Amino acid sequence: MRKLVFGFVFFITLWSCKHGEGEYHGVIEKIEVEGQKYHGSSVSSEPYIEGTRTIEITEGAHTFLIPERKGQIKSYACIDCHSKPLNQMQTEGLQKAHWDIKLDHANENTMNCVTCHNPNNMNNLRSLTENDIDFNNSYNLCAQCHSKQFEDWKGGAHGKRIGGWAPPRASFTCVNCHNPHKPHFESRWPARFNTQKVQERE
Amino acid sequence: MGDKNKKWFSLNLNRKVSNETTCGCGKSSGGCGSHNSNPIPNTDSKIKSIGGERTKDGFEQVFDVKMDRRTAFKKLTASLLIGAGAVSTSCSMLTGDETKEKAQIDWEEQFKGNYKLMTDDEKKGTVDRLMRSYELRTGKKINMSSKNANEDVLFGYAFNISKCQGYMDCVNACVEENNQDRDSQMQYIRIHEMKDGRGLDFGEADDNYYHEVPAEGHFYMGTQCFHCDNPPCVEVCPVQATWREDDGLVVVDYDWCVGCRYCMAACPYDGRRFNWKKPEVPEAEINHNQHYLGNRMRKKGVMEKCTFCVQRSRAGKNPACVEACPTGARIFGNLLDPNSTIRWVLENKKVFRLKEDLGTEPKFWYFMD
Repeated sequence: MRKLVFGFVFFITLWSCKHGEGEYHGVIEKIEVEGQKYHGSSVSSEPYIEGTRTIEITEGAHTFLIPERKGQIKSYACIDCHSKPLNQMQTEGLQKAHWDIKLDHANENTMNCVTCHNPNNMNNLRSLTENDIDFNNSYNLCAQCHSKQFEDWKGGAHGKRIGGWAPPRASFTCVNCHNPHKPHFESRWPARFNTQKVQERE
Repeated sequence: MGDKNKKWFSLNLNRKVSNETTCGCGKSSGGCGSHNSNPIPNTDSKIKSIGGERTKDGFEQVFDVKMDRRTAFKKLTASLLIGAGAVSTSCSMLTGDETKEKAQIDWEEQFKGNYKLMTDDEKKGTVDRLMRSYELRTGKKINMSSKNANEDVLFGYAFNISKCQGYMDCVNACVEENNQDRDSQMQYIRIHEMKDGRGLDFGEADDNYYHEVPAEGHFYMGTQCFHCDNPPCVEVCPVQATWREDDGLVVVDYDWCVGCRYCMAACPYDGRRFNWKKPEVPEAEINHNQHYLGNRMRKKGVMEKCTFCVQRSRAGKNPACVEACPTGARIFGNLLDPNSTIRWVLENKKVFRLKEDLGTEPKFWYFMD
């Protein structure tokens, strides 16, 4: 009799286990195991980045595309106007160039125009140790202070992709989302308000 | 599917009949009743419930199942109505070719099977019919895809809580992309405004705020369908109208759904929505790039939900919400690709999921800077 009961309990336990769960304990294990068999997928986001002029960069272990910048700056090359050193160009009474730019980035003790711009060579940006940085690679300038964001951006946790999720990876660079002279995001009203939801919950 | 394999009787209202029928009435429609073709299948074949069934085609699923009297009558009535409509249009001398074609499409759509069990040809067939039907009804063309899951792809999503500012641009983009009902203002995405220091309290959170954002002392957290790897909504569906695709997307066949809303009750994340009325979208705002399992026009009484924009994601694009987000809080990608950005996030950031203890294995992770 006892055998029978044990047998019955054993049988029930065996059958009450849910079937068809698959061979993995959770999706993380599945990703790890099945990811090892990954040979690249046939999907490509190339058609969606065709319209954007990009350059390839390699930073640490990451190689990806970012939008080309110099072609997007309206008045590049800068030395077309900045033919003389800055102090010689600042004449009283003449109309100011770049009048619309007001620096709102860190405080005055930390930053002014020449923290990033090179007054002797306007065509390039300048690092804190006075090395030239190309406008196309302006993220190197930001990375001097924002090193944590830089790490996240390289990996893909900060910033946005261009095109789609599929390879090749193309990502916006810092200045595509942040205005370097005023990098914060403005507060604003939400894009949508659901009036129906209000009624339903009354 | 070739005509020879077809188990149901095709009306061929508007086409040349492939198998010559010699009928006294001179018509091939079957309206006279003296045709040989028999729409009722052989009922001797073994009767099985649909649960776990993967081999039965659509016709067998409709007819070759145990059903109670009420269901049987329901199905019969619906079929008879369509049949009667088809017959009356085919016999009438006044109706045009288009009406006959419409009736033919309605007939075939009525007897088609569960999308999940269709062969690629059958999928293409139904998509073609739906496109043609839309064209006949509205005079406008749509592009509907039946693209299957890509190999070596498992979709995953990450949401950065410290980046979201509550602008709701994602909600707007989602509504427009997925042809959601404008009248009832259905939305797949909810953005919850949570008080700092109060934990993730969804009861306290406000998901319908309207003030300048980000609000002082609050953070924002978005929820939508998490495309669980072990989805409870799929388990409870009595007709298998919802399932998990190979690329991890949990999808709904709107034509197979009976609208019982079990899945809605089973979902621990409030990820599913129900159409209480016929969804309406102004013609000018309809997104014509559609997928059978995605943003095609739904009908009254069926479930729908976020599909990670299957019409976009299977083509390599990001879902509309990811593309619309101005803060970069949303990251989407292939979990199986070791070099993908989503994998980097999972491996290098502190990520968590909602209600992980339920074992639903959502493929939607949250993280902070």
